[in-house]
Amino acid sequence: MQEFISDSPTSLITQLKRSFAIMKKDLRIYYNKGPVIIQGILFPVMLFFAFTIGRNIAPVYIISGLMAMVLFLTSTSIGPVVFPWETRQMTLERLITCPVSIKTILLGNLWSSLVFGCVFSTIPLILGMILFFEFQMNYFLIIMGIIIAALAFSSFSLILSVPPTDMPANTMILTILVKFPIIFISPLFMPVSFAPLAIVSPLTYFIDIINIGLGIESSFGYLGFFFDFIILMVFSLLSLFAAFFLHEKTITRRFS
Amino acid sequence: MTNAIEVDNLSKHFHTPKAKKLFLAKQKSFEQNATKRDVIRAVDNVSFHVVKGEIFGLLGPNGAGKTTTIRMLTGVLKPTAGKITILGRDFLKNRIVIQQIIGNVPEMANAYLDLSGFQNLELIGELYGVKKTERIKQAEYLLKKFGIFESRNLKAKKYSKGMRQRLLLCMALMSNPKVLFLDEPTSGLDVQSSIIIKNLIREYHKTGMTIVLTTHNMDVANELCDRIGIINKGKLVGLDTPENLLKLMQEYLALDVSFENNYINEKEMIILPYVKKISKIGKKYRIIVSSLNDGLCDIVEYAKSNNLKIDKINTYEPHLQDVFIQIINVGGV
Repeated sequence: MQEFISDSPTSLITQLKRSFAIMKKDLRIYYNKGPVIIQGILFPVMLFFAFTIGRNIAPVYIISGLMAMVLFLTSTSIGPVVFPWETRQMTLERLITCPVSIKTILLGNLWSSLVFGCVFSTIPLILGMILFFEFQMNYFLIIMGIIIAALAFSSFSLILSVPPTDMPANTMILTILVKFPIIFISPLFMPVSFAPLAIVSPLTYFIDIINIGLGIESSFGYLGFFFDFIILMVFSLLSLFAAFFLHEKTITRRFS
Repeated sequence: MTNAIEVDNLSKHFHTPKAKKLFLAKQKSFEQNATKRDVIRAVDNVSFHVVKGEIFGLLGPNGAGKTTTIRMLTGVLKPTAGKITILGRDFLKNRIVIQQIIGNVPEMANAYLDLSGFQNLELIGELYGVKKTERIKQAEYLLKKFGIFESRNLKAKKYSKGMRQRLLLCMALMSNPKVLFLDEPTSGLDVQSSIIIKNLIREYHKTGMTIVLTTHNMDVANELCDRIGIINKGKLVGLDTPENLLKLMQEYLALDVSFENNYINEKEMIILPYVKKISKIGKKYRIIVSSLNDGLCDIVEYAKSNNLKIDKINTYEPHLQDVFIQIINVGGV
């Protein structure tokens, strides 16, 4: 029989490569859909104008607030429903019998959420630059902020798909119950000091990074951006490892 | 002969909600506190081996535990107890390494319906680490071989059930596996698709591939399998070649005879050397014989010597179905 597989299947690099194959699959199946893309574009555009026209909010807070909201909502929109959907479509069983670990499958889901979130969170930034063009932007900080926050929110979305259900609606309910309180306590469209529970929300640290990137001082002092990155990184890792651990526990219950 | 698969005392128990409650309440010994009813023994202490290069069939009625067994052998479910060795390696300790060399067509699994046939194969190729050039070559080869090359760019949701099943087989064969698991490969297919799939299974078997399939269809098992394990209520109740299983049912060799005057002397006939038992079913006699040819000669001779005219005579040989029903009803042979 012909042999044409060279990689060691358990090596980290191999599993990482295979997670990118899962990412491509997710992007093709779940994200590359007319309604999803249109919603991804329309949602930030509409929100941008809703918060810009007739409201006395400083442009920097509009941009950072909208970017945070869009990034959080888009990068956590599809991730929680992929597992229940694939359980229902009976494709998860096929995937699980491939030489990939649960972690690899989750990483694939994570990359696709991350890409989706990153792409659409730039829309408020681009609109802001066109309409206000008054910022001294630190592009590097903003791009890094978007990537690390997308990683944090996408990791968080993986936890939301832990319940071993095959009904996407069930995870949607959980998602709404968790996501909206996080948005409400976040300092959207206002300085961080104005929102008393803000430090609990991961969005706060992303907003702070964007504010710094748009020329405003950090709410957490001189090395505030460093603090923001650390917090988001810790949040990402905790969410990711929690998702790994919990999915390992529940995955077989999807087939029982 | 070396074994491709060794299964030792494999068990899978599912717990009912009451049992889960007991378990969650952290009672000292769950098994002691849960009653028999609280634990569903989907697979219970099953042991068998599959020789390299053979087609091994797991035959059983619906809900017997076939799919659960296959799911444990392919890494979908973790066994409650037992050991699985595939190609000399402990499967539970080397899941991914072994999954690299096995192919699988789960019964209820599906291809990605929003991807084309070709994209489905590409995805599976990537997940098995097949190099890009080989991946394309292999995908085209399989699509042609399985007769779905023309539909390669159509989304899988537009495929018929037979085409989807062929696509799933292509997906399982993308990495040239050494062991292939097929869960009900012909279930729900039309006759033509079923024949195509059976022929392809035979063809791959000739290349030396070890194939394990589950089915509740006796004909499929009889036609394809070198050995058959009969599973019922989670237990393996019979295991042998189809021929040997049939030998166990030799008492089912019979001649159905009807005579013109519709009467024979049973007491005279029963003493014939090859006749074992006679019973009357309607107008005909079912005569159980130890050998069909010799029994037939005996009866013709008997009819001649007693001036009886034979109206109709049919031979009746046991089928795998009889073995299956006997084993399922009795619980073993």
